[in-house]
Amino acid sequence: MKMIQKIFDSQRKHFEEKGKFRMLHPLFEATETFFFFPGILIKNSPFVRDNLDMKRFMSFVILALIPPSVFGIYNTGWQSCKATGMSLDFSTVFFQGALIVLPLVMVSYAVGFFWEILFASLRKHPISEGFLVTGLLFPLTLPPSVPLWQAAVGISFGVVIGKEVFGGTGRNIFNPALTGRAFLFFAYPTKMSGDSVWVAAGSFAKEAVDAVSSATPLAFSNLAVAGDNIESVLEKVGFTVTKLFLGGYPGSIGGTSALCCLVGAIILVLAGVASYRIIAGGILGVYITGLVLNLFAGPQANPWMALPPFYHLIMGGFAFGIAYMATDPVSAPGMDHVKWIYGFAIGTLTVLIRVFNPAYPEGVMMAILFMNLFSPLLDHIEIKFKLKNRILNV
Amino acid sequence: MGDLSNIFLNSVFVGNILLAYFLGMCSFVAVSKNIDTAIGLGFAVIFVLTITTPVNWLIYHFLLAPGALSWAGFPDMDLSYLKLVMFIVVIATMVQVIEMMIDRFSAALYSSLGVFLPLIAVNCAILGTSLFMVERNHTFLESTVFGFGSGVGWMLAIVLMAAIRMKLRYADVPKGLEGYGITMIVTGLMAMAFMLFSGITL
Repeated sequence: MKMIQKIFDSQRKHFEEKGKFRMLHPLFEATETFFFFPGILIKNSPFVRDNLDMKRFMSFVILALIPPSVFGIYNTGWQSCKATGMSLDFSTVFFQGALIVLPLVMVSYAVGFFWEILFASLRKHPISEGFLVTGLLFPLTLPPSVPLWQAAVGISFGVVIGKEVFGGTGRNIFNPALTGRAFLFFAYPTKMSGDSVWVAAGSFAKEAVDAVSSATPLAFSNLAVAGDNIESVLEKVGFTVTKLFLGGYPGSIGGTSALCCLVGAIILVLAGVASYRIIAGGILGVYITGLVLNLFAGPQANPWMALPPFYHLIMGGFAFGIAYMATDPVSAPGMDHVKWIYGFAIGTLTVLIRVFNPAYPEGVMMAILFMNLFSPLLDHIEIKFKLKNRILNV
Repeated sequence: MGDLSNIFLNSVFVGNILLAYFLGMCSFVAVSKNIDTAIGLGFAVIFVLTITTPVNWLIYHFLLAPGALSWAGFPDMDLSYLKLVMFIVVIATMVQVIEMMIDRFSAALYSSLGVFLPLIAVNCAILGTSLFMVERNHTFLESTVFGFGSGVGWMLAIVLMAAIRMKLRYADVPKGLEGYGITMIVTGLMAMAFMLFSGITL
């Protein structure tokens, strides 16, 4: 440890105000605080009233992201091996998954860091550890077959327009990872949705992936016509409740397993990073909306209406979204009571979009972005309300 | 009844006059610095829209549309080329009335709205709603609901924007983007978030 400290001390002068590498000071600082506890207090939100600093704070998010990432690599590999007829033993599957997922993660980190360092150097703000999270969250929300250059375009949009134009981490309005993903979704819809993007099979075996082997549970559910029962439609193609909960089905890289997201959510809540209010509100929102829709279900109605609400919780990206995206402390409201409303609305909108909007099979991404839009207003309302009820100092 | 509520929801969320059609941008960008002012202007726009849209409907259907003057004995008359002029006149008159009312009842709001209150007269959201009403063949009742809904949608957008701009006061925006620049970027991102509803057919 002493030796590393010495290296930093001897090199520090080059990066300070008059040094020859002063442009790169943020990079130096980021590397140094990676090893040592910084002696300064931060001036930008997100503030944490705790002895965690932001780097440690973000480390917890990374830690919580490990289960879905590892499972994502395995599942992507498994789906890909199955589609191309390769052997399904553990090491092949894992290797194949890593071959698909790791390049996406590396591109996301490399391109994102390029923008982050560029802005930090030119605008003289510190490099934010928040990017470590954004850069990993973003590829986990993508379909595994997305081309690398599109991932680069998406993360560029997310970092620059979603975050840096507002002045960096803590000042943004929307979750940068989701902004980038939504941009890709609207810019390149053929690569971001549909039945053939959810399994990466490589160019050598495109024909091996027929529509049925690569459709997501949500896509299968959309095939059900009035009078059908979505549960039995899913059962018929092998998506049992256990399988949906564990996550062994085609989908976005990190978002399939409700179990891994649950583990991550518990880590985040215990570490004090994520708000349990948002998560609980979201689950309640899904559940209550699902139950209310069940009341209107009938043989002629949309078969989605009759789906038991817990299917909404374990299918698709809802678990991932509510655990990692909705709880982003920057773009979520800061006041306690409105967090319930915020989470609840995300759950409700997710279910409503899945049931009523034929344009999107999945609703959680847009629901979170839409509620990010409302979070400053929700905060404002709660503050107004509190000020009104305050007993004035006499 | 179901039709009317569909028209209302459609005009507030799916076809939001501001975030889906980008009408009424000028006052949206200029008056969204403060939530209370934004709410005031929002109500003024709702009021003007709810009155002008049905009034314009009456004028169009009894005076201007092809064959509308048959009650006066001119079944071949087609005055619809006058609709832009007539709609603007109706809107300007209504805005004048509102201006006098706000001046009388809320001087603070009157001074904070400033020049943008008379400028509602040329707010494209107002004229746009009247023109959409003609294009979509709404009935009288539907056009009233459509006008009201468009106003609510516009108000929702400007109040959200005002709250976001309050938060943006703590942001560190690059010099060239301060003010209108960042506001336009946020508007674009808001429009992207509102695409949540696109594809829903009501």
